[in-house]
Amino acid sequence: MAGTSARVLAGENDLARSVDELAVCTAIRPLQGNLFEISFRAPEIAGRAQPGEFAQIWVDTGPVPLLRRPFSFSRADSGSGAIAFYLAAIGEGSRRLQRFRPGDQARILGPLGQGFTLPERPGRSALVSGGLGAAPFPLLAERLQARGEELVWINGAATRSGLYPDDMVPRGIGEIVLLTEDGSRGQVGRVTAGLLPRLQGLDRVYACGPNQMLAAVAGQVATAAPAPDVEVSIEAPMGCGFGTCLGCAIPLLGRGARDESLLGLCCRQGPVLPGAVIDWERLLQQPAHLG
Amino acid sequence: MSPSSSPFDARVDLGRGLVLTNPISVASGTFGFGFEAVQLAGIDHLGAIFSKGTTPLPREGNAPPRIAETAAGMLNSIGLQNPGVEVVARDYAPRWAEWPIPVLVNVAGADVTEYVTVVQRLDGLAGVAGIELNISCPNIAHGLDFATEPGAAARCVAAVRASTDLPLVVKLSPNVTDIAEVARAVEDAGADAISAVNTFLGLKVDLGSRRPVLPGHGSGGLSGPAIKPMALAAVIRVRRAVAIPVIGIGGISTASDALEFFVAGADAVQVGTANFNNPLASREIVAGCLDHAHRWGLRRFSDLRWQDLGPPGAS
Repeated sequence: MAGTSARVLAGENDLARSVDELAVCTAIRPLQGNLFEISFRAPEIAGRAQPGEFAQIWVDTGPVPLLRRPFSFSRADSGSGAIAFYLAAIGEGSRRLQRFRPGDQARILGPLGQGFTLPERPGRSALVSGGLGAAPFPLLAERLQARGEELVWINGAATRSGLYPDDMVPRGIGEIVLLTEDGSRGQVGRVTAGLLPRLQGLDRVYACGPNQMLAAVAGQVATAAPAPDVEVSIEAPMGCGFGTCLGCAIPLLGRGARDESLLGLCCRQGPVLPGAVIDWERLLQQPAHLG
Repeated sequence: MSPSSSPFDARVDLGRGLVLTNPISVASGTFGFGFEAVQLAGIDHLGAIFSKGTTPLPREGNAPPRIAETAAGMLNSIGLQNPGVEVVARDYAPRWAEWPIPVLVNVAGADVTEYVTVVQRLDGLAGVAGIELNISCPNIAHGLDFATEPGAAARCVAAVRASTDLPLVVKLSPNVTDIAEVARAVEDAGADAISAVNTFLGLKVDLGSRRPVLPGHGSGGLSGPAIKPMALAAVIRVRRAVAIPVIGIGGISTASDALEFFVAGADAVQVGTANFNNPLASREIVAGCLDHAHRWGLRRFSDLRWQDLGPPGAS
């Protein structure tokens, strides 16, 4: 993924493609526990969104909550102008979104950030998700399948209610491996247990989930010979989403002669990054996302 | 000719020949060096851009997490992440020279020598329209010292004043006993204008982990609508203390907010945190302010000034 690395080092992307669109909520689909999917009509964004990119939703124009909330696209259909997000109602922003009803409006800024690299030639990819980390994979799976990619989705969660719903998984995925840490559904264990026996023959691994999981996946993939390319979607507390607040710093491995890590911005250089450019040790030392 | 039929003049003179086409600018630290906005929402509507704080050497900034949302506000502890003055002078200034609006570089340092070093490197460069001296960053060691002690503030401003003829704006901290005293000190030391105010010191606690959300000492700079009433109070105090132009900052997210600062004696304003949740905020505020000016038949925004503060220029 030389292209990806060059992109990361340049630290630039094209914000000119981003639009602030007045979107109309078209559906709220309650799922297990506090999970839900929210859909909007936003034709401008739907026509531009790529897998792994995100949008900033202005949940309420009042001062609480103040900041927009960043979410990866779960679906984006240029034909119908629809975009959708897979969320858990865990904070002030997502709880308010859960109370949206069809017809409610919100300004949505997007697409933003760097998405997943789509292969030039078809091969075999694994999608590895932990819990809410499934969010970007319906769109990624659809776009990969359109390019003839062969897919295995390794879908893990702490318990069965945290798994991405079966009936929302795109059709035609070659193999779907379910794992739960408590064994309430599928294999008992973590996603790395599902990935290990399938590493041989993979060209690419795409992962999204908690940082600890991403580090484990990136580490596991790096030990394979030949090692498939690995891209991970990182999460960080984000203010603006377009590179000016400098809030979403993440540690990247050093460039040039100096072998030291440096802080990059999740919103501009990420959220999707090659596993090899992330300083995992330093990332895992950071306190978990608070507040 | 009735006042309402006089042409409206939005210009504001910050001194030393720096005349902004309108008084609405964007605050340091909320707009980067302008390059994101150029792509995202444009900059042509702005009176000026105040850049991210710039130091002699590159700074990586503080360890994450760096921001935390609070009620109607946010805390930040970025730690002056910036590429250093050399990159700003060599790579950014030539690009700014092509822009239709002035860019003032916000300058920060650990001591007087550092401030002077940065300003001397920027002096005379095409694209650098002025300096905003950040003597009030709450997130670096010693950052607040210059802003809290009038004598230290004056020495810093005087040293910079002696090293450049660029328009010199000084940005004050609200985290002081008497902001008026500091304002008078920097005016006497040669400031052309004052920006008031920087962020308020604040802290957010995470009950789950029973510790502050932000690392280090746990505190950061509070910004956003939550601080607007306190910022307005500070601006009025500064307005009464000095004769030079005052740039009001603090929680401005709508045209009405900006207009309230003109009532409180500000000659210009900066839009800050609103740029984060709404990249079109400054554009909407400029349009809204001009619309109000026409509807109210103003000749200048300073017509809005509270009478108790006296007429503009007579403070």
